[in-house]
Amino acid sequence: MNKVALKMLFGDPTKCLGLVFGVAFASLLIMQQSSIFVGIMSRTSSIIYDAQEVNIWVMDPSVQYVDANRPMRDTELSRIRGADGVAWAAPFFKANTGVRSRTGNLQTAQIIGVDEATYIGAPRRMVLGSIDNLRCPDAIMIDRTGYKLLFPDTPLELGAEFEINDRRAVVAAIVENSAAFTSNITIYTTYSRAVAYTNNGRTQLSFVVARARAGLSPESVARAIEERTGLKARSSDEFRWDTIKYILANTGIPISFGAVVTLGVIVGVVVAGLTFNMFVAENIKQFAALKAIGVTNMTILRMVLVQAGVVGFIGYSLGLGIVARFFDTVPKHATGLRGFYLPWQVAAGMAALTVVIMLIASSLSLRRVMTVDPAVVFRG
Amino acid sequence: MTTDSPQGGAMTPPPAIAGSQPPAAIRCRGIVKEFGRGETLIRVLHGIDLDVRENEMTFIVGPSGCGKTTLISIIAGILSATAGAVDLFGTRVTSLKGSALVKFRRDNIGFIFQQFNLLPALSALENAAIPLIAQGASESVANAAARRFLIQLGLEKHLEKFPSQMSGGQQQRVAIARALVHEPRFIVCDEPTASLDAASGRAAIALLRDAAVRPGRAVIIVTHDSRIFDFADRMVAMSDGRIEKLSDAREIAAMEHH
Ligand SMILES: Nc1ncnc2c1ncn2[C@@H]1O[C@H](COP(=O)(O)OP(=O)(O)OP(=O)(O)O)[C@@H](O)[C@H]1O
Ligand SMILES: [Mg+2]
Repeated sequence: MNKVALKMLFGDPTKCLGLVFGVAFASLLIMQQSSIFVGIMSRTSSIIYDAQEVNIWVMDPSVQYVDANRPMRDTELSRIRGADGVAWAAPFFKANTGVRSRTGNLQTAQIIGVDEATYIGAPRRMVLGSIDNLRCPDAIMIDRTGYKLLFPDTPLELGAEFEINDRRAVVAAIVENSAAFTSNITIYTTYSRAVAYTNNGRTQLSFVVARARAGLSPESVARAIEERTGLKARSSDEFRWDTIKYILANTGIPISFGAVVTLGVIVGVVVAGLTFNMFVAENIKQFAALKAIGVTNMTILRMVLVQAGVVGFIGYSLGLGIVARFFDTVPKHATGLRGFYLPWQVAAGMAALTVVIMLIASSLSLRRVMTVDPAVVFRG
Repeated sequence: MTTDSPQGGAMTPPPAIAGSQPPAAIRCRGIVKEFGRGETLIRVLHGIDLDVRENEMTFIVGPSGCGKTTLISIIAGILSATAGAVDLFGTRVTSLKGSALVKFRRDNIGFIFQQFNLLPALSALENAAIPLIAQGASESVANAAARRFLIQLGLEKHLEKFPSQMSGGQQQRVAIARALVHEPRFIVCDEPTASLDAASGRAAIALLRDAAVRPGRAVIIVTHDSRIFDFADRMVAMSDGRIEKLSDAREIAAMEHH
């Protein structure tokens, strides 16, 4: 009877399309928004991610996430280096600042200052030039997207000049980085130059980045640093989660994201549910006739579930295809979506959610079919 | 739709078989049916006793609202009786419940409805095959049987057509094929000709008579349609929830001539 169920479904193309559309729209909306949500969340900690060789971050005890700025005293660096299990430790400076291109184009940028000897914490995926170019006067590295924003319609090239807080800066290298949360331009330079650019004479040790000695877990070394210095130390993984949790707790992002997902579920349930109900209502006499003829309620249940399952599968696949295509093309061209992709967990979660949507959507009509009295077949 | 209705000897009424008394295939005793309760309680059937014979077409006639549909719904096991018993070829249908009842219907009863109730998305062949598919038969077995009956009913050119592409008479013949395909022992029809014009109605009943009436099987037709009365072997006249009169074919023929 499953084949009969499918024929009934596809025999009514309008309703079938309505059902598929409802599910496709819901899964499209939810997967797209969830992927963007995941993307935004990973952006909040992109600096931690990009500092690949670092696995411990040390900060002032009041700092809760990576964008908080509460400098430590410069002397902390040597105390951290002295802690048990620390292979090495380096200063890390981070601030937001204004930049102005030659054409007068003013924008905000994130400026990161790293240890002048080791460049620890700077991304190493070079697009143009070498990180050693930072030795030149006024030299900075900029990320590829930032370069495009600062110098629109200019091919990527080294030597371009602009101003950071009215001081001269020269592009000495261009790097690939992960997109950041607060700004679209990231500038990397030496620690002392970064401090000078931000026009601030006070101590500027935003973080100390460190690595645990081989064989030691970064978490345990972080605890050792905390004990020795009274500062806050986190493994990179811990710090990423701290940051994500902080953003979730302190911004409207999760609420608006949650609202969209809820909306998607509601749209899916309502559109698919109403259409399904209409479909079943129109076929109720036929279902009653099947029951009179001797089709059991179990079989009827299976028929409706097969119909729901097929609709759910087609709708979900359509949504998945569109979202996959979207993240395959759009982020390449839209800076706002740079690095965003469709995580498989989102796709898998949506598959499960589709099952839930179809169960809710069909439950109403299912009740109707299960309870319809076969005796109605003989009534006008 | 007379053009494609096969005409022939089947159109002539059956002769009365004087003397021979086939055994009762369906036995109803004291059937009472009440709807509602308390103030709104109405008694629709007032203790019906009825024997229906195999190898015959039994018509149930009577004014609208007298309880014909209610009676055959109870006999066919799609409505429960308030009191009384129905035996179908020795099985007490009124005692069956749940899936046992559904399976009994599936294996023993063929239904023909006024509104045909064919599945619009299925072809004539697929519609006629449904009872066998529901029994778990393979598609090829079910389709072969359905094809045989549809051809017998003169629908060889319409096997792949959908209900919407067929006339009412053709659709009712598909429904007849569906009612017969699993060789049930009891065929029940409620107003099978009410949606058809006179000629296709008569043609459908003639075909039904030819294909369905046989030893080991009983056929009940509920109808208002006096144009087909001459096909009856026996006629049960109901009035207000009671059986008023039982007539055999000879008496029916006499009524016609009257
Ligand atoms: N489910 C129900 N609830 C209440 N009353 C009902 C129900 N079904 C039938 N009746 C009543 O029972 C009586 C007999 O109905 P039934 O349909 O059996 O008559 P009928 O002889 O088939 O009539 P018709 O020739 O119009 O089809 C009618 O008065 C009807 O209103
Ligand atoms: Mg009736």
